[in-house]
Amino acid sequence: MAKVEIKHLTKIFGKRPKAALKMVKQHKSKDEIVEKTGSTVGVYDINMSIDEGEIFVIMGLSGSGKSTLIRLLNRLIEPTQGQLFIDGEEITKFNKKQMLEIRRQKMSMVFQNFGLFPHRTLLENTEYGLEIQGVNKEERRKRAEHALDNAKLLSYKDQYPSQLSGGMQQRVGLARALTNDPDILLMDEAFSALDPLVRGEMQDELLELQANVQKTIIFITHDLNEALHIGDHIAIMKDGELQQIGTGEEILTHPANEYVKSFIGGVDRSKVLTAESIMIPALTTNIDVDGPTVALRKMADEEVSGLVAVNRKREMLGYLTSDEAVKARRNQTPLSQAVMQMPTVDLDTLVVDIMPIIYDAQTPVAVVDGNKHARGVIIRGSVLEALADTEGEETDA
Amino acid sequence: MPNLPKVPLESWISEGVNWLTTHLSGLFNLMQRSGQSIMDGLTNGLTAIPMPLMIAGLTVIAILTTPKKYGFPLFTLVGLALIANQNLWSDLMSTVTLVIMASVISLVIGIPLGIITAKSPKTAAIVKPILDFMQTMPGFVYLIPAVAFFGIGVVPGVFASIIFALPPMVRMTDLGIRQVPVALVEAADSFGSTTWQKLIKLELPNARNTILAGANQTIMLALSMVVTASMIGAPGLGRGVLSAVQRADVGSGFVNGLGLVILAIIIDRFTQKLNTKPGQKLVTRPWRRWAILATALIMVGGGVVNAATSQKSSGQKVNLGYVSWDSEVASTNVLAESLRQHGYDVTMTPLDNAVLWQSLANGQVDASVCAWLPFTHKALYDRYKNDITLLGPNLHGAKTGFVVPDYMKVNSIADLTNEANKTITGIEPGAGEMITAQKTMDSYANLQGWNLLSASSGAMATALDKAYKTKQDIVVTGWSPHWMFSKYKLKYLQDPKGTMGKGESINTITRKNLKKDNPKFEKVMDKFNWTKEDMESVMLDIQNGATPKQAATKWLKSHQKLADSWYK
Ligand SMILES: Nc1ncnc2c1ncn2[C@@H]1O[C@H](COP(=O)(O)OP(=O)(O)OP(=O)(O)O)[C@@H](O)[C@H]1O
Ligand SMILES: [Mg+2]
Repeated sequence: MAKVEIKHLTKIFGKRPKAALKMVKQHKSKDEIVEKTGSTVGVYDINMSIDEGEIFVIMGLSGSGKSTLIRLLNRLIEPTQGQLFIDGEEITKFNKKQMLEIRRQKMSMVFQNFGLFPHRTLLENTEYGLEIQGVNKEERRKRAEHALDNAKLLSYKDQYPSQLSGGMQQRVGLARALTNDPDILLMDEAFSALDPLVRGEMQDELLELQANVQKTIIFITHDLNEALHIGDHIAIMKDGELQQIGTGEEILTHPANEYVKSFIGGVDRSKVLTAESIMIPALTTNIDVDGPTVALRKMADEEVSGLVAVNRKREMLGYLTSDEAVKARRNQTPLSQAVMQMPTVDLDTLVVDIMPIIYDAQTPVAVVDGNKHARGVIIRGSVLEALADTEGEETDA
Repeated sequence: MPNLPKVPLESWISEGVNWLTTHLSGLFNLMQRSGQSIMDGLTNGLTAIPMPLMIAGLTVIAILTTPKKYGFPLFTLVGLALIANQNLWSDLMSTVTLVIMASVISLVIGIPLGIITAKSPKTAAIVKPILDFMQTMPGFVYLIPAVAFFGIGVVPGVFASIIFALPPMVRMTDLGIRQVPVALVEAADSFGSTTWQKLIKLELPNARNTILAGANQTIMLALSMVVTASMIGAPGLGRGVLSAVQRADVGSGFVNGLGLVILAIIIDRFTQKLNTKPGQKLVTRPWRRWAILATALIMVGGGVVNAATSQKSSGQKVNLGYVSWDSEVASTNVLAESLRQHGYDVTMTPLDNAVLWQSLANGQVDASVCAWLPFTHKALYDRYKNDITLLGPNLHGAKTGFVVPDYMKVNSIADLTNEANKTITGIEPGAGEMITAQKTMDSYANLQGWNLLSASSGAMATALDKAYKTKQDIVVTGWSPHWMFSKYKLKYLQDPKGTMGKGESINTITRKNLKKDNPKFEKVMDKFNWTKEDMESVMLDIQNGATPKQAATKWLKSHQKLADSWYK
């Protein structure tokens, strides 16, 4: 069952939601709607389902409704229409008191500008969530200190937020959110205010945390690279409407529409694309069976200058070039002696990591899976082609 | 708009106030009585702390709260010592009581109200214009309803001060709460804070400095009201300032005013210290905090010991009301000193004239020797005659009229042409003599185009003094007995039409039930009488620099027999 399920969720800001709704249905533009009704479409008809334990990233340009959507999840913003389910319960039907309970127990939020209380020490900030639940002082101190310790900030616990760097403050923001031990973390551009280096560190920390504690994380960002780095699924929004949901690869490789295509234009693909997505099928020769003549014949048929050599179990052995095959035929030596060493990478190795390997290699690079089976090969051309896509898009834009 | 009838706003308001006075009298009485006893307690508590101990204590606290700076502690020490040196210590304590009370009530009302307006735009839309109204309407306007509701004394003073001092408290609280960043409010919400938790744990702490700035303004405004409040009998430094103004006594006015300034600066500095950044403690070192606590305890302890050992005066309490005219300052002081010598515990309450009559009528004041009849105070007498008792004249041969220096040629009002820039220098607007003066101007044809300038008795005396020294023309509304007749050569202008009134007498009036409640004292009041010359000699002594008390004692010493006759 999905952890969070959203059905037809819509939020119209302003006094005349009905008139505005009518106009969205007629596909009028946001600007036109504001002009005519004075109401703004925050989000419109969002459907999505978020699995337990995944990092679900919501992306979009400024004003596309990301913050509105995430605040609809804990009902800091009341929806105009639609339903929201968490663990199968319809949250949109909950009364105020039940909603407080949900916010206290089930989900915590991390904010772009940290949202730390300036008049409270780090420890007091961290224990805030427990404090308002009435947890006794000793207990909440213990848990808050534990959370700060995990964030490696315990020694700063009596400092005030203004005395800390942005990165440290956001670690506190995260620690504060985790102290409640919520199932769901809502992170609204949590890392956007940080400089790139710290940001990268925080992303890695988040991934590590995710590996350890398995929260369901809903993460908003402007930044596609960040989304691709941490997101299990990515949703792309425009003007309050959902454009596409998918894994990073799906979105990069199969953009649903022109908007998404132009949206992903700026991404550094080498850090996103994996070996699997740029490899070409491996042409193999089973050297336990095939002799040089068969191998050469195959090369001629396929118009290639080499094949991946495998054994009877289809395990990858190396690379067989046509030159070596000709030599073996002339000298009557077994093919196994003609096979060259071939560099290998895993299916999910990033292109950026493949590039130096392929640069040094005499042969193509083999992509192998856990069973040592060759799933494909990567040649210089396919790397260049994958990266060139980017440039092509950029000049288009 | 000649055909539109005037909207009877005035009578609506008067009737409204009357309605409130009669229908809510129980509530007002309760508030008056409990307020009065709380404030008496506070003043007594403050005065019980021995003055040197209080000065030392406050200086020590100033030192502890301003480490490494000497200016403020030194100012506290010297300023307070100066006030004590000028014999204004008990006035200072009364003023502090008034300011504390007005400020605390303003805080108690203002902070919750500010919170409500910050949270509810609808309430804000109603409250904001009322606040504007309260703050811009001149404070004097509240005095009469304040007296009608609460009688005279410190309670109506506090009432009027609160009306004036409350608005910044509400506004700054409102501002402070609304200034809390949305992001923080959202953060608090996202953790499931209730409205109350949000208020206590986030909004109020964050708005703290703004609220404190509001409190500081409120205290300063309350302080600025003490002079106005003294017009309705609130004791303290304000009373000194007011009576100095009425007597044109520059020196005493400044000394009392200086006391207020010193108090204002000290309060301001102390309250500003409460304004701290997050994480910054008001007082950094724990030992300092303990030391401050200890100092405060020592002061309180000193007060308790002092209160326990000092005896209370056991005399009968009587309350004499008067208006700070030179003549009435003289008579009331003489009477009060004499009563004290006979064992009475006398309170003297200087009041605005209209307020004096009102407070006799509602029994707040026992008696007064200030009624000029049958002319000058006719209007007031007519209004209150059923609610007071007139005991008859205590001084004959009083007179009011237009007065000019001897060197001026003119002798009769009817002969005035264009002397003194066609201006008659008057006294307080609304004073009895001003009303008769206006009547006079209307009935003499030659006074058409003349001006009646209203100011104060003190300003009139100053203007006369200045004109006299340079031999300029001047026409004033004068009365005798008055020291000016001893100091300058002056003459009354004849009044052929008699509109300024013929000869007058100064009368003793009491509250209605005094005879029943305190026949012995009533008899003294009935017997009290002296002459114009007696009064003028006391007035002149005061004018020449004696305190009213000294002048009264001196006169009593040399007129033992007359004074004794009042008690037979
Ligand atoms: N409280 C509000 N009242 C009225 N309109 C609002 C409100 N909050 C958001 N909006 C409007 O809703 C739309 C979506 O805003 P939202 O803040 O969700 O965008 P966003 O994607 O988070 O943008 P950003 O990247 O700048 O944070 C915008 O047009 C915005 O103006
Ligand atoms: Mg946003």
